[in-house]
Amino acid sequence: MTDRQGLSGRELSRRDLLKLGAAAGGAALLGARAATASAALERATAESGRLQVLDWAGYEVKDLWLPYLEKYPGQKPKFTFMTNEANALAKMHAGFEPDVVRPYVGYVRDFAESGFVQPWDTKLIPNLKQLNPTMVRAGRYEGKQYGIPQDWGFDAILYRADKVTPKERSWSLLFDERYGGKIAWFDDLNQLVWAGYYLGFKRPYDQTDAELKKSQALLESKKHLVRMFWSSETDMQNAFASGDIWIAFAWPADWVAMKSKGLKVVYMHPREGALSWIGMLMLGKDSPRPEHAHAFVDAWSSARTGRWLEDNYGYGHANLRARPKSSDLLRALRLADPNAVKEPNAHIDRHIPRRRLYAKLWEEVKAA
Amino acid sequence: MGGGEGSLTARSAAADAAADLPPPARRGRRLLHADPATPALLGLPLAWLGVFFLVPIGIVAGYSLDALSIEPGPHALTLAGWRELVHEGVYLGLFWKSVQMSLLVSAVVVVLAYPLAYYLALSGTKRKYVLLLILIAPFLTSYLLRLLAWKVILGSQGVVNSFLFWTGLRDADHPLGQLLYSRFAVVLVLAYVWLPFVALPIFVSLESLDRRLLEAASDLGARRWQAFLQVTLPLSAPGVVAGFLFVFIPTVGEFVTPSLVGGTSGYMYGNQIVDLFGSGFPDWRTGAVLALFLLVVVAALTAVFARFLQFRQVTAG
Repeated sequence: MTDRQGLSGRELSRRDLLKLGAAAGGAALLGARAATASAALERATAESGRLQVLDWAGYEVKDLWLPYLEKYPGQKPKFTFMTNEANALAKMHAGFEPDVVRPYVGYVRDFAESGFVQPWDTKLIPNLKQLNPTMVRAGRYEGKQYGIPQDWGFDAILYRADKVTPKERSWSLLFDERYGGKIAWFDDLNQLVWAGYYLGFKRPYDQTDAELKKSQALLESKKHLVRMFWSSETDMQNAFASGDIWIAFAWPADWVAMKSKGLKVVYMHPREGALSWIGMLMLGKDSPRPEHAHAFVDAWSSARTGRWLEDNYGYGHANLRARPKSSDLLRALRLADPNAVKEPNAHIDRHIPRRRLYAKLWEEVKAA
Repeated sequence: MGGGEGSLTARSAAADAAADLPPPARRGRRLLHADPATPALLGLPLAWLGVFFLVPIGIVAGYSLDALSIEPGPHALTLAGWRELVHEGVYLGLFWKSVQMSLLVSAVVVVLAYPLAYYLALSGTKRKYVLLLILIAPFLTSYLLRLLAWKVILGSQGVVNSFLFWTGLRDADHPLGQLLYSRFAVVLVLAYVWLPFVALPIFVSLESLDRRLLEAASDLGARRWQAFLQVTLPLSAPGVVAGFLFVFIPTVGEFVTPSLVGGTSGYMYGNQIVDLFGSGFPDWRTGAVLALFLLVVVAALTAVFARFLQFRQVTAG
């Protein structure tokens, strides 16, 4: 049914027709070009139908992929929403075959090994050269470019400067006894990761059993100080703005949002290192529309999209030429320093080999 | 003689009626065969029950034993999920916390709803049905909207705290923090939401009360509170128990209210099930175990309460 809708919805652009006409004309004249013409015709036919994008809610806004729409007028991609990476994998296991999907950097390996995605042809993404090289490298797996970096940000600590005086620049502010009942943690297994950094473990993404036990014990013993585990950014921002929360595990966009409400807030990078996350667009394994998919990711990689994302969502963008209007956001994202996102300044989210165990332990922290 | 005639008439009428009726066994078969609507009437709800209740439960049971899995590849049947539930104790602890919260909500709601239903049913007011409509009027608005309204009321800068600041009872820098994102908030909001559901069955049981029993109690010298304790209350017990169950069964697995107003301390068993299936890194096996355990416990409690309910009805009759 989707294919039928897609077929009826597809319209060849004038440029496509000219290309086809030129190729077909050339083939008729030269004979030797017949194979090329046939391939182009085949490709255009094969790529009929709307591009299927499995993405996070909010990223379907057309300003984020406008150059794609300009290249393929009238061919708006069809968006299906994912709630997290595991949810996306489950959808693909169930038979859904998106052309493009967006896991975050910690899941590049999981997706590459899942067999549901394939590497990009980087030659077809001209804007790639404008993207932050560190982030581009983070999208590689076994030397192949599986992920093209797009949106990014930090996980650090947001606090009310008029209410809170940190003893030190550390993750420990997230369990400071003086502010019990005014603290919010993020509802995610990466709380065990920052706990690991706080406890000084060497590999917080791959802790030993003993280390995990200590990280879990730390979180459980401090949980009574925590007012909420937020999973909706809006909920957290509302609680922060209304004064129910003074300290939160937060993203740069939250700092900007709270500043715009007139609150005196500080976005603190702990000395143990903030965490950083990068959205990675990936190409579906058997995508029947690879050219469209490459055009889509190239559109997302443009400085124009980057600026729009930064100005409207408050997230960073991998395109180094993208600069937000807000100087606050510029500072929160440390955009003046292209190395801000990596060691030793921050720890880029990475593959967690025992993710299932981390998830189980985090659920136990919540249930305890 | 007249009496003899009367009894004769009655006997012959009974005999006539008996002659018209087929033997019991035959009659049963005839009814089944004679009425083609019966299988159709029964078939649809049974099919519905099978497709939308029994089959999904079977699927969930399959996940709980790893017979089904969201992960690819072969899976051996295992009881590991059930063993973890029993041995690790974390989830049972959370279940017990949810049961306690649910019991508290149910008890609070029954206590609040009883006088309300009593007034509506027994005060003799002519506007009782108008009042009943007013009671269920909040249902005309969205459930989520009502929950969000409570956030406005209970927040640090909400209605309650603002009033406390205004009266000087509380310093603006030290609002009452435990009003929102707490166990208290969950109990309060759930009680608010479920109050009409409890008031209605109690109202029905009180309204069907035979008033002559109260007159008789009064005639026999009982005071009003004695009549209430010994006549009204026992006879309305089925309504109370039904109302209690109406609240307890859904709230023990509740997750929307705690996720919006519960914060860390108001986190309930239902939230855990939702998180295991959806938001975190999904663990459908544990989620399925928890969901089935909840189903079994609630079914068992319902059976116990239902027996009690029938018993009360018999003794009340």
